[in-house]
Amino acid sequence: MNVRNLFITAVRAIAKNKMRSSLTSVGIIIGVSSVIVMVGMGNSARVAVRDKITTFGTNAMSVFRPSRAFDGRDIENLRRIFHVKYISPLIYDTYIPVVFQNRNMLSRIYGVNNDYFQIKDMALQSGRYFSAEEVTALARVVIIGTTVWNEIFGNADPIGRTVLIKSVPFQVIGLLAEQGSAFSGRDFDNVLVMPYTTASTRIKNRKDFDELYIAAHNEGMVEETAEVVRQYFRRKHNLPPGAPDDFRVKTSIEQLKVAENISKTLTILLAGIALISLFVGGVGIMNIMLVSVSERTREIGIRMAIGAKRNDILLQFLIESVTLSSVGGAVGIALGMSIYYAIIYFLEWPFIMSFMSIIVSFLFSFAVGIFFGYYPARKAADLKPIDALRYE
Amino acid sequence: MENNIIDIKDLVKIYRLSDEVSVRALKGVSLTVRRGEFISIMGASGSGKSTFMNILGFLDTPTSGKYILDGIDGSSLSLNEKAEIRNKKIGFIFQGFNLLSRTSALENVELPLMYKGGVSPQQMRERAQKLLAMVGLAGREHHHPNKLSGGEQQRVAIARSLINEPAILLADEPTGNLDTKSSNEVMDIFTSLNREMGITIILVTHEPDIAEYSDRKVVFRDGLIIEDAPISKRKKAAVTGKSR
Repeated sequence: MNVRNLFITAVRAIAKNKMRSSLTSVGIIIGVSSVIVMVGMGNSARVAVRDKITTFGTNAMSVFRPSRAFDGRDIENLRRIFHVKYISPLIYDTYIPVVFQNRNMLSRIYGVNNDYFQIKDMALQSGRYFSAEEVTALARVVIIGTTVWNEIFGNADPIGRTVLIKSVPFQVIGLLAEQGSAFSGRDFDNVLVMPYTTASTRIKNRKDFDELYIAAHNEGMVEETAEVVRQYFRRKHNLPPGAPDDFRVKTSIEQLKVAENISKTLTILLAGIALISLFVGGVGIMNIMLVSVSERTREIGIRMAIGAKRNDILLQFLIESVTLSSVGGAVGIALGMSIYYAIIYFLEWPFIMSFMSIIVSFLFSFAVGIFFGYYPARKAADLKPIDALRYE
Repeated sequence: MENNIIDIKDLVKIYRLSDEVSVRALKGVSLTVRRGEFISIMGASGSGKSTFMNILGFLDTPTSGKYILDGIDGSSLSLNEKAEIRNKKIGFIFQGFNLLSRTSALENVELPLMYKGGVSPQQMRERAQKLLAMVGLAGREHHHPNKLSGGEQQRVAIARSLINEPAILLADEPTGNLDTKSSNEVMDIFTSLNREMGITIILVTHEPDIAEYSDRKVVFRDGLIIEDAPISKRKKAAVTGKSR
């Protein structure tokens, strides 16, 4: 008997018990669709995280939590090192009131130099960056983020206007392009970026910097650069060999790795769950195939009497279980893609089409059909013709 | 070609029910059947005739004895070879018709050809349609068994048994579930298959009426043949040709 006829026979047998067949496939459908959703979510999360982190710049790093405060000397010294392409201090403060006419809000200040925009890859929508004179002269100039612009300017042109930051008048000279928000929900657009000199004297009244931002020449040099920076601070702090660092250097690659590790662990965990549900689905198929075989014992007898060989019967039932599981797999893929798409749509994450996961989960459901269908099929094929024919 | 299509010597079948209890269903049966004979087998239930038929049909294996069908020794065959012989050499007709229920008459008839393989779908269709027409079911090819009367179902089964041009037909009480009219129609078909196409037929029945269609009567009792005689006044087919 050829495969085409066997397939027709299988489809008929399945179609005869529509309710039972669809219920049997539910296990596989759930298993496969959860694989599709999970893999999709994992991929999207990874890309979303990478997008957030790369706004930090893949060749960037930050130095923070020093035992001794950073100062202007560090900037000068580090700038002279070949590895360092850009370097900016960061003075950071939160819950800073900002007022324009009768509107006000709370925002954050970032005190930086012009290198900061390069390191963080921040572009301007309009206006300009700081001039060298403005940095040295503690000029009261500010570049605002889009949230601030929306809130207190109502999207009117802010360039050249004066705002009060902590009651100090500042002139708005630039408007940042939209940055988006972090996973934590922190809004990168609710910021007031000003020269670090201005921030330290006029807002914070503290000379030392909270962080240093440094960019290497390219991604490949990040680790080496981080090491050079580490050695610089170890020497500065007179740390003996073997003593732990009393500051931290964080590269974006490191962060990427952490994110990747988390998503990898998550993927393995989810794959395990998916595997279990596919296994359960397979057992369901096996169960129903055993029922089917015993229900159709007489049919098997008839087929054997008129010339069906062992393999004809074996294949007939194998094809039936594989059809059940593959159709379940196909439906699961469609369902999984829809659910994935819906979730992504609401989270505003990128949609990533993974053909690999589609192919793998389809092949997997196919394999489940073979694996769990084999025993019932063999049971059918090993029936003795006379016993099968006499079965009532 | 040998003159004897079936050659059976000292056939014994013992069913072992448990370690102590065993049933000797056949106690040494010998029988030769010539090509083109129409034999009826009679006997009470438990006489061993069904066991005998199952062995004839390669559905069951004898405990001992020799069975040669159309020159092939049955004792040395693998399961697949037996399946092939059932497919190509033997046509089965059962009391309960044994048609596949969710399959049309036409497809039921085609089924043995599918298992034989090597025949195009068009050829299958043609041959099946020809046979259904021959048994008087032209125009009902696409009916499912549950839409056909008992007599019609049995005629579908006859068409199915003929599609691979078998050497013998084994009919196990083919009229057992039929009314008199349908029985006569079915028996007329057997008669003409035997007379006009020379097909060897072995038919189990317990109705003397039906046995009279054949030309030789073999009676079983307690696992042995107790009577083997030609039938003197063979019944003429009442409506020969009409149902073809």
